[in-house]
Amino acid sequence: MIKHLLALILAGIPMAWAKLTPEQIKSLPAPASEPAVFSRDIKPIFEASCIKCHGKGKNKGGFALDTKETFLKGGDSGPAVIVGNSAESYLVELVSGIDPDNTMPQKGSKLTARQVSLVRAWIDQGLSWDANINFAKAPPVNLVPRNPEIPPAPAKAHLENPVDHFVFAYFTTNHITPKPLVSDAVFARRAFLDIIGLLPEPKELEAFSHSRSKEKRAELVTELLGRKRAYAEHWLTFWNDALRNDYKGTGYIDGGRRQITDWLYSALATNLPYDRFVAQLINPTPESDGFSKGIVWRGVVNASQTPEMQAAQNISQVFMGVNLKCASCHDSFINDWALSDAYGLASVYSDGPLEMYRCDKPTGKKALVKFLYPELGEIKADAPKAQRLERLAQVVTDPKDGRLTRTIVNRVWAKLMGRGLIEPVDEMDNPAWSQDLLDWLASDLVEHHYDLKRTIGLIVKSDAYQLPAVPGTDQSSASFVFQGPTTKRLTAEQFSDALAAVTGVWPETPAASIHYVATTESKSKAALTQTEGPFAPGVAPRWIWNQMLADKRAAAETLYFRKTIILSHAPEQARAIVACDNSFKLYVNGTEVGSGNDFSKPKSINLTPHLKKGMNVIAIAATNDKGKPNDPKADQSNPAGLIGYFYLRASENVQKQKQDVIMDFTTDSSWLWSAANPENWNKLQVTNLTGWSRSTVLGKPDMAPWNSGKALVAAVSRAPQFERVRASLLAADPLMTALGRPNREQVITTRASAATTLQALELTNGSTLSHLLERGAEKLIQDLPSAPAQFTTAVYKRALGRVPTKRELNSSMELIGSPVQRQGVEDLLWAMAMLPEFQVIN
Amino acid sequence: MRMRNDWNRREFLKTASAATLGALVAPYSKALAATKESVPKATADTLIVLWMGGGMAHTETFDPKRYTPYEKGLDPNRVLSTFPAIDTAVDNIKFSQGLEKLAAVMDRGALIRSYTAGDLGFILHSRHQYQWHTGYAPPQTVAAPHIGAMLSRTLGPLNPAVPAFIDVGQRFDVGEGEELKAFHSAGFYGSEYGPFVISNPEQAVESVRPPAGMSPGRFENRDKFYRKLLAESPIGEFGGDYQKESLVRAMDKAHLLLSSPASKAFDLSLEPKESYAKYNTGRFGLGCLLARRLTEAGARFIEVTTEYIPFFNWDTHENGHTRMVDMKKSVDGPIAQLVLDLEARGLLDRTLIVLASEFSRDMMMEGKPGKTVKDQVTVPNVIEDLKYYGMHRHFTDAGSVLMFGGGVKKGYLHGQTAEERPCKTIADRVVIEDLHATLFRAMGISPKHAYEIEKRPFYVTKDGLGKPIDALFA
Repeated sequence: MIKHLLALILAGIPMAWAKLTPEQIKSLPAPASEPAVFSRDIKPIFEASCIKCHGKGKNKGGFALDTKETFLKGGDSGPAVIVGNSAESYLVELVSGIDPDNTMPQKGSKLTARQVSLVRAWIDQGLSWDANINFAKAPPVNLVPRNPEIPPAPAKAHLENPVDHFVFAYFTTNHITPKPLVSDAVFARRAFLDIIGLLPEPKELEAFSHSRSKEKRAELVTELLGRKRAYAEHWLTFWNDALRNDYKGTGYIDGGRRQITDWLYSALATNLPYDRFVAQLINPTPESDGFSKGIVWRGVVNASQTPEMQAAQNISQVFMGVNLKCASCHDSFINDWALSDAYGLASVYSDGPLEMYRCDKPTGKKALVKFLYPELGEIKADAPKAQRLERLAQVVTDPKDGRLTRTIVNRVWAKLMGRGLIEPVDEMDNPAWSQDLLDWLASDLVEHHYDLKRTIGLIVKSDAYQLPAVPGTDQSSASFVFQGPTTKRLTAEQFSDALAAVTGVWPETPAASIHYVATTESKSKAALTQTEGPFAPGVAPRWIWNQMLADKRAAAETLYFRKTIILSHAPEQARAIVACDNSFKLYVNGTEVGSGNDFSKPKSINLTPHLKKGMNVIAIAATNDKGKPNDPKADQSNPAGLIGYFYLRASENVQKQKQDVIMDFTTDSSWLWSAANPENWNKLQVTNLTGWSRSTVLGKPDMAPWNSGKALVAAVSRAPQFERVRASLLAADPLMTALGRPNREQVITTRASAATTLQALELTNGSTLSHLLERGAEKLIQDLPSAPAQFTTAVYKRALGRVPTKRELNSSMELIGSPVQRQGVEDLLWAMAMLPEFQVIN
Repeated sequence: MRMRNDWNRREFLKTASAATLGALVAPYSKALAATKESVPKATADTLIVLWMGGGMAHTETFDPKRYTPYEKGLDPNRVLSTFPAIDTAVDNIKFSQGLEKLAAVMDRGALIRSYTAGDLGFILHSRHQYQWHTGYAPPQTVAAPHIGAMLSRTLGPLNPAVPAFIDVGQRFDVGEGEELKAFHSAGFYGSEYGPFVISNPEQAVESVRPPAGMSPGRFENRDKFYRKLLAESPIGEFGGDYQKESLVRAMDKAHLLLSSPASKAFDLSLEPKESYAKYNTGRFGLGCLLARRLTEAGARFIEVTTEYIPFFNWDTHENGHTRMVDMKKSVDGPIAQLVLDLEARGLLDRTLIVLASEFSRDMMMEGKPGKTVKDQVTVPNVIEDLKYYGMHRHFTDAGSVLMFGGGVKKGYLHGQTAEERPCKTIADRVVIEDLHATLFRAMGISPKHAYEIEKRPFYVTKDGLGKPIDALFA
């Protein structure tokens, strides 16, 4: 039979069916005698046995039963049916199983005799097909932008925020009476943690609660959004998860993976518009290409995990809320995406046409370059890769792409409210609990130039956000009704930062390497013009030595430099960034604090513990090595120079005047030098005041022969990140891992928030936390008032933003002892950190 | 409000099984409804994996071939084994010299000689180890769970006071640590099912004790204080709910683990000296002792590793013969003792011990026959130095897996390898999904058991296709 058919096809004769012999026809189940009803009798058969391969956009063998028309058209082997003649219809031959080698469906259970009878009856009776039934691929969901009208506010409510117009209209429809808004304290804690990831400090909380401004909540939100650095350091966690960016992990060992930290940090700190943010990830520069390059494993990987396929999956998931993972291996069973869709997108990233592999086996078919939604724009397959990437970035970020914007506003909503308008947030085909609100937020984002901070601000300023938190239960439940934000758990990073803030003990060295330039604030336009890179206005570092032309030749000797500074406050943070040709030792008030011997790598040295209010002396012993050490008779002179930048910041608590917060200085002609190694040369009280001269400025950081401009800028840029390092900039430690910081090998867009036993174990006896508490307790005993009651109250204010109740105060004082004992403080800190009140964002 | 001072930990423990806690963890990963597939009847309650990390050469351990002693000027092509074979308690099974104690207990176990590692192109320890432990070759689109997590999630702890998935002996700050972390994890199951890591068995007790420097009295006092604060906390706007309850429950469970008598099992100093000495060949040997003590206390899954550190332990890139002597010494006694001790305590019947490695080694062959794989060591044409005498290349086409107890046949041999190079599998090939299916059968889990993630099933054996080796079962 098959041979017979093939011969006919090969001969080019359009032949729909091979005639069955009369005996075979007799053996077919007879047509059912009653009328066949399409929706009742036939549709279920199609759905169960046919459309997996011949519907929903798939057309194996050229045959699709999307509509009656495509059904009648038939497939590669001709028409499927002869209306009114089921006995001679090819379809009946196939589904009857008369030829065991050529039976439909190929996979799964065959049609029963009863089902064949029904199909025959349906064909014989004239192929009725209800016009409203089809098996075509559904039109894309959430793709076309839509800007719904803002509904009027319900009576009596005086709402200004459009978000609330939508939400309160939703409440009316769903017969929900909103509860009164939360208190200032609860709001402030939420807003701080949600926008910048930190607990409000007691003085911030106090200022907020004392403010009489009617708009004080909105003002706080605006102020928090303006804290570029803190904002960037908080949202970095979310984006690191989503973009699989980490500082350690698989792949880095052999260059199979690249960080995008520097780019990402700058993008967040400068609030890079989201369309450009996405475009720079899709069509990357060397700084942002780590995302689309993926993780390259050594050896052979499954065909669905090549770097191109990773790019296709991750771009779809993160930006479009589309799951292409199944379709990377075979036509998906869970959604309408096909293998050709995954490969079509992957092909954009491939240097040549990609062969499609089904379940890791080659199909022999080449993929056609296309984006998931061809209606958004075409990508030319024959264009060079660079142009294809540029085009893909354009297509995805075109305002016509309402899927991109809905996906991100939904993610932001979920981050702030604890649950998305659509859940899961990676499945943007699912219905939203308020389609209008979702669509409006997405349109508003486009209207405001893809400014995500605006979206965050809109949501956090809304009354909807300020409703009391409701328990988070089954997030995926289809019956979810929005009644207010869901309680959230502190993330691993928020927990670590909160503990650091409470104790004042911060990690000192970041794992991430970031140039801080982007977030450096300039005080005025005039100052801006004087600023070179990250340097404070008017503070320009210069190479110095004891004479002109030292950059060409200077004696091989050690010179002693010193500078006296008067500080109005002990700095909260101070670092020296110093480079010297050839080596140096740095002293503060007579104590050696650091040294270095490589002028191409400026040394960054912590000065915070050494500087005090009032007069300080900074001294540097700078050595120019011999030019020709192997030839004692030769002239030993060679280039010499010293450069240093001193980054000093007072706490903003101490001074309201911003310009006094910055106390930076640098190497310049005001430094005194001596060649004589005078006694006490590095102390305030120098024994010998003679023999000191002013230094000579040789030139700017970039000057030859050192060309250290970039290295110096980078080192100074990093200065602020030292000492008060946020957890988002650290490599994961056992505590953070236990608290749910993911291994960033896969895209993670939602972290589980419920507590686990292993997590509780790590919290109860893990060494990371217990060491932190030890150091924290010591620091608190140093920093806080020594009277037990005041001590306890201060800790409560820092940790929980409130004073203890009388009973809490009594229990705590009993625990910490009098005078305050370190172990007692450790235990107090531990117990407070374990409280739901601390770990949950209400 | 349930969190008030009438909160009762006992009550909680009665009601909160591991399953209910688990249900709180990962909202989008659900157990799929039981398949029609019949669930096998468990023959073991506890699984112990003894991990020979780094690639253990089969021809130098449990599958000896023709012995060629060292001499200067040796042609490496002649060398199949660098040790003579020795008899075991089973007539048709020979071991390599240096494994005498294990040889003496071979009549309690079954040996697979035909394990064949995955064909992952490049031969890489961490990738093959990932595949061995998860059943899936990395990378995967979702984070694949470790077999210990699969058991932890599916069966839960055997004794609620002993973590269900215990991992002994591997440090993660050594070479390829990040790669090792990638599979020492519960993956998408969520951290509830993740490994309880004990890097150094001698310090195991520290992981179940109050933090270093904290007396038991202070520990209890701290807990009491926490409960007092919890009870006294002015609730006000802080209504009770699921996150809070899960937090308090988890703290309770942790406290139970840390104050339960079962925690004594972690303390090797409580072991009689004589017995301790029998195990004490170093960290691995003590790991076996810890495994025995934890099995007695009711552990579900324990892995003890010789520890994978690139170029150390079983990862012999040179001096293979000499180093093999030491490696055998470190594993032979403790494993045999573990078998005997569990037997004496009547626990061997319900405890399955599995010894395995990510792949084998050979002197001449890198990868598997017929595949070109980048060579990672130099083997001279003529051996003039003892350091070149040994199995230094990675070989994937055969490998030995030794099993004891838990319902497997005694004194049974499965699979066969060629007598001449390449000494590859020639009968009854066993691949990872079938080996896992076998372990799951023993533990009473179908190879098609699956959890849903992103709307699709993720099976405990690759795509649900693992087939248990029924011949291994008594």
